[in-house]
Amino acid sequence: MQNSTLLEPWDAGLGAQEPWPQPIHLYQPYEVEQILLPDNANCLAVQAYLKMCNLDFTIEPRWNAEFMSPSGRVPFIKCGAFVVPDFDNIVSFLNSKGTNLSESLSSEDKVNLRAFLSLVNNVLYNSELYVTWYHMDTYKTITKERHGSVYPWPLNHMLNWQKRNQVTKRLNILGYKNKKLDDVFEDVKKCCESLSERLEDKPYFFGNKPNELDALVFGHIFSIITTPLTNNVLGSIVRSYPTLIRHCRDIENSIFSPHAIGINSIMNS
Amino acid sequence: MPDHKKTTKGGDEMFADTKKSFSSKQHKQSAPLNLKNIKARVDKIHIDGLSRTNQDIVKSQINELFKAQDFQDIIINSHNVRGKLESLGCFKNIGVYIDTSKGPNATPDGVEVTFTVHEFKRLMGNINTMVGNNEASLLIGAKAPNLFGRGERLQMDYSYGHKNSSNINISAVKPFFHDKLYKALTTSVYTTTADFPWSGYKENDMGFLLEFAFNANETDSFKHQIQYEAVVRDLTAVRQATFKVREQCGPTLKSCIRHICKVDKRDEHIFPSSGTLVQCTTELAGLGGNIGFVKNELAVQSNWSLHESLSLQLSAQTGFLRGINNDMKLSISDNFFLGGPLNLRGFDIRGCGPREEGYALGGNTYWAAALHAYTPLPFKPGKNSFGELFRLHGFVNAGNINNVSFKLGSNYEDHMKIFTENIRCAAGCGIAMKLGNIARVELNFCLPLKFLRTDIQQQIQLGLGIQYL
Repeated sequence: MQNSTLLEPWDAGLGAQEPWPQPIHLYQPYEVEQILLPDNANCLAVQAYLKMCNLDFTIEPRWNAEFMSPSGRVPFIKCGAFVVPDFDNIVSFLNSKGTNLSESLSSEDKVNLRAFLSLVNNVLYNSELYVTWYHMDTYKTITKERHGSVYPWPLNHMLNWQKRNQVTKRLNILGYKNKKLDDVFEDVKKCCESLSERLEDKPYFFGNKPNELDALVFGHIFSIITTPLTNNVLGSIVRSYPTLIRHCRDIENSIFSPHAIGINSIMNS
Repeated sequence: MPDHKKTTKGGDEMFADTKKSFSSKQHKQSAPLNLKNIKARVDKIHIDGLSRTNQDIVKSQINELFKAQDFQDIIINSHNVRGKLESLGCFKNIGVYIDTSKGPNATPDGVEVTFTVHEFKRLMGNINTMVGNNEASLLIGAKAPNLFGRGERLQMDYSYGHKNSSNINISAVKPFFHDKLYKALTTSVYTTTADFPWSGYKENDMGFLLEFAFNANETDSFKHQIQYEAVVRDLTAVRQATFKVREQCGPTLKSCIRHICKVDKRDEHIFPSSGTLVQCTTELAGLGGNIGFVKNELAVQSNWSLHESLSLQLSAQTGFLRGINNDMKLSISDNFFLGGPLNLRGFDIRGCGPREEGYALGGNTYWAAALHAYTPLPFKPGKNSFGELFRLHGFVNAGNINNVSFKLGSNYEDHMKIFTENIRCAAGCGIAMKLGNIARVELNFCLPLKFLRTDIQQQIQLGLGIQYL
């Protein structure tokens, strides 16, 4: 009898006992009507990472992907008996299976890699959450409708409210309580600046091979520039960094065939 | 019971009076005397102790007493009326006094009946322990009875079970007493949390229930309940849950109407010795919300007393569940599950039927039947007292559960397979005890006779609950 095991970073070693390769299923919300900017960024990042690893996977859109996920966040992958949520866990899970894109890096680069990963996760992800849930205009016109689209009335209002409270609580703990929208944009600018400084005119962040940072940055940058929001400030901030845009296009062209990501592949420049 | 004593005392007096007037007639008859032969008529009814309660609901309950023709009628009717007044839910205790009628308007055979009632306080609280289906819980409740003088009440309950389930229920009840049949309208809001380790999920419910209940006849044995329920059910899978259970996670909204029809002619609820119970439940979900199905359930129980110390009980249950269209979902918590110490004995709770990686998934069709033979404890210790709380029983039970496709054109024989293939069967014996006349506890030794390899069997079972097969 097999038991699904949800992998935590510390027990990732378990994975080594499973035969490889297994078919990988990626669970995420519906792309067209449901998914929101922060989730879309993470889902794309995982998709890109799996493609970089040359692993075949099938995307399984589910209305309740968020609730199915052991961590409560999308996306998660199901691989044999394992159910692994979140970008970081998925990367370490695949590492434990012997697929590692950052293996050849020097230890100094590895430290830098970790720093950049957490920079993107902290600044870009939280800023996207802020814009999606905290900024009233966006919440009312886009978030409410999309997030509630899979639930019947009056459950949609209840869950919108519940989710907003959850996100608000998280952001308050992280110190976003007193931040204005402009402060958040300022954070995004700084983050993009350090990313493009690191990137310069190299094809990838570290060496001549893409790794998890490239996938994560691609996911976020691509989502930000392709997701229509009430005001386009976030998109235009990112677009003012041509190195990041170039990096994003390169990755898209190299690993995604033109229409692989559905409507998102229409780049509005 | 002082009230009954007083009633009989009143009767004796009355009897003494009438004896004089009918002395010649009575003289020829030998004792015991037939109260039916004593003519009597109720002149007046007094109710003492009403303050908050409205007169009109009390009046409508006592009318039948005026129809009495003889003294026996008066005694029986006053007993009935006392029961009716109790059922108003406004009075703590009720005393009955019967006396000959006096005064200028008194008729020769006239009597006066006096009910002395004590009303409930405005607010009551209680702490109980309760036994539900295989769970013991602590219950804290507050009640405001008789809010507006016509039996309306507001009730709040909180319970916490030993399996981490919790329950909050706030309900408002409005009964209607104006004609002979009892009717009541109940609205309640509730939240419950329950854990289903056998299926690997936790369920969090938040709901609203509107119920209209009425008796279809006067003896209370034929009851209807019509309910509307809207409930948000949030399912969370446990860490190791199988993927089929994980797929069910997330909040869904069920909006349904339900009709429960119950004919109960048994002499007792827990250890009946005669009579039959038939309960039929129909549920239609899909009036809004995203859960849609039709669910029918039927339960029958029949009892026979073969001998003073041996009674037989045959019970059978069955249920069908089918979705109504492809847009509406079916949740795992709507499914039927079979097995358990008070259900299909010999199997673990949810121990039979479709399962994956050890987690029960439930089915859309089931049936179960049980035959019990009950006897009192050997040598009858504590006869007519604590001994009545216990019974020894031997039983055979069988059942089956599966997913049957209800698609049009599917084979009739396929539907019948549930009665012919993979039947689970177990026999056993044990001791049963009743708790407070609502719940029962059973300790059984069971021998599973027919089972599938995937079923989880249990040979010694301790079960406790309100519903039983």
